[in-house]
Amino acid sequence: MFYRETGQFKTNYADDMALLPILQDRIGLGIILFVAYVIIPFFGNDFLLSTVMIPFLVFSLAAIGLNILTGFTGLISLGTGAFMGVGAYACYKVSSTFPDLNILFCIVFSGVFSALVGVLFGLPSLRIKGFYLAVATLAAQFFLQWCFVRIPWLYNYNVSGAIEVSQRSIFGVIVTGAKATPESRYIVMLVLVTLMTWVAANVLSGRIGRAFMAVRDMDIAAELMGIDLLKTKLLAFAFSSFYAGVAGAAMMFIWVGGGEANDSFNINQSFLILFMVIIGGLGSLLGAFLGAAFISSLPTILKFGLPAIGIPLAGATAEHLTYILVGGLILFFLIVEPHGLARLWQIGKQKLRMWPFPY
Amino acid sequence: MMQTYHQIARGDTLLAVDHVSLSFGGVKAITDVSFDIRKGEIRAIIGPNGAGKTSMLNVINGFYHPQKGQITFKGLTRSRMRPSVAASQGIARTFQNVALFKGMSTLDNIMAGRTLKMHRNFFWQCLRHGPAMDEEIKHREFVEDIIDFLEIQAIRKVPVGKLPYGLQKRVELGRALAMEPDLLLLDEPMAGMNLEEKEDMSRFIVDVNQQYGTTIALIEHDMGVVMDLSDRVVVLEYGHKLADGTPDDVKANEDVIKAYLGVAH
Repeated sequence: MFYRETGQFKTNYADDMALLPILQDRIGLGIILFVAYVIIPFFGNDFLLSTVMIPFLVFSLAAIGLNILTGFTGLISLGTGAFMGVGAYACYKVSSTFPDLNILFCIVFSGVFSALVGVLFGLPSLRIKGFYLAVATLAAQFFLQWCFVRIPWLYNYNVSGAIEVSQRSIFGVIVTGAKATPESRYIVMLVLVTLMTWVAANVLSGRIGRAFMAVRDMDIAAELMGIDLLKTKLLAFAFSSFYAGVAGAAMMFIWVGGGEANDSFNINQSFLILFMVIIGGLGSLLGAFLGAAFISSLPTILKFGLPAIGIPLAGATAEHLTYILVGGLILFFLIVEPHGLARLWQIGKQKLRMWPFPY
Repeated sequence: MMQTYHQIARGDTLLAVDHVSLSFGGVKAITDVSFDIRKGEIRAIIGPNGAGKTSMLNVINGFYHPQKGQITFKGLTRSRMRPSVAASQGIARTFQNVALFKGMSTLDNIMAGRTLKMHRNFFWQCLRHGPAMDEEIKHREFVEDIIDFLEIQAIRKVPVGKLPYGLQKRVELGRALAMEPDLLLLDEPMAGMNLEEKEDMSRFIVDVNQQYGTTIALIEHDMGVVMDLSDRVVVLEYGHKLADGTPDDVKANEDVIKAYLGVAH
């Protein structure tokens, strides 16, 4: 139908190796970006921005991080929540130690700390694989969570043990703290996610991405090609934890706006992000977004959306019903397509190419 | 024609295996085996199942560390080494049971073979413009030559997991060639192929040897192929070296006939 690459000839390798070689994909992405940057901030209400979109973007970032590790490099991690926590506390420390630093820089820079911690806990990955590695990363989860509670230095010795987000602005616009408008917070988050997704796509389609996938698919052969397994795995841990750290910092500073951070970065969070990656599609950046939308936004939309269209739901019933619905949908999608929503999208694209013929 | 080429190419020793012994606990895989591979030749390693052929390849490219003996490659003697070091010295190999990166396309698989030759750092990789893209394109051109050579243009962007076995073997050869190896180790390149595929593969092996001047060591069970392709053959049995010489010598060797055909008692 309209989705055909027929007639789009590439006359040089640069065009052929572009991130989106098909014209329709580029147009589609352009429309999505237009909606995200122009339509949503202008026409969306505060609820849509701060309860649906900002959490979605934060989780997308975290899911991209875990997808780099689990989907592209084949290393399962249950420590994502903790790595996000490292980012959040690092951002708190950095921004309170250097109050004049641009907050956006603080958020991105806190990813570096998270990356370093990720490398440390990634060291066992050379020796252990699969489920055993997952268990080893649990150590990171529990140890780091212990640190968040027991080391008062991390939260500047304040009594509540919470992260306090002070008011900061970029170019005169307040973006963090109680006075920041949802629009400004959303735009900051959106810019962050757009740039970091672009960088991830670049890295993953080049030499380093191929090394990651080679390690995932056949580590023995990868070593034989001269790919250093330890270096590649640690780089994957660093790269992935960087994204998780930035997501954690953004979660505390842009979305939640501070508070008792320890609970936000527990094992449930790690599992939630792992589910996003699995349901969205392992080894696909699009999958990270789809998974984040499915797991984080769907419950919110159901909970608040159903009453809005006239289906009355109240309090606990809404809570329970959304659990049941989301659980059922997860089962449904896993049965229909075990490789995730991203694969479903790919099959759909293939069908469009062939349309109206079945094959 | 081929013979004359090889008489010219035959020259210095590229790799020498010197009194190598390898055992796993009580199991002796290789016992005191010595042979050499000369520059530009096709060297076959044959023997019945469990003779230690694959173990021998694994020793050569550093997967196994022999308990005794040493290996000299390009004049450098070593007894222990890591596979990634062997790769950077110019040894590439294919596997008996295809070891491709199944989730990646044919192109990406062969591009992965160029990893050692790509050096742009993380910063440029993040941007994927300028030097990183130039490098990518330069290597893409090399990879496209290999794709042309192996006649796999049509499956360039197909994930290799979906390809039939014969093509997978061909892609694996391509991936090894992308490393521009000095020594190419082929572990049963024709196992499980039909006659036509075997003919194709034989042609590719001879072409690689002649066009790129690559030295090849191959393990193969199809005696017709071995005798036709190789310049010299080494025969292993139960980890011992049984015979070593030109195909004709080996064919006439009593011990080899015994090992392969058995003998009336």
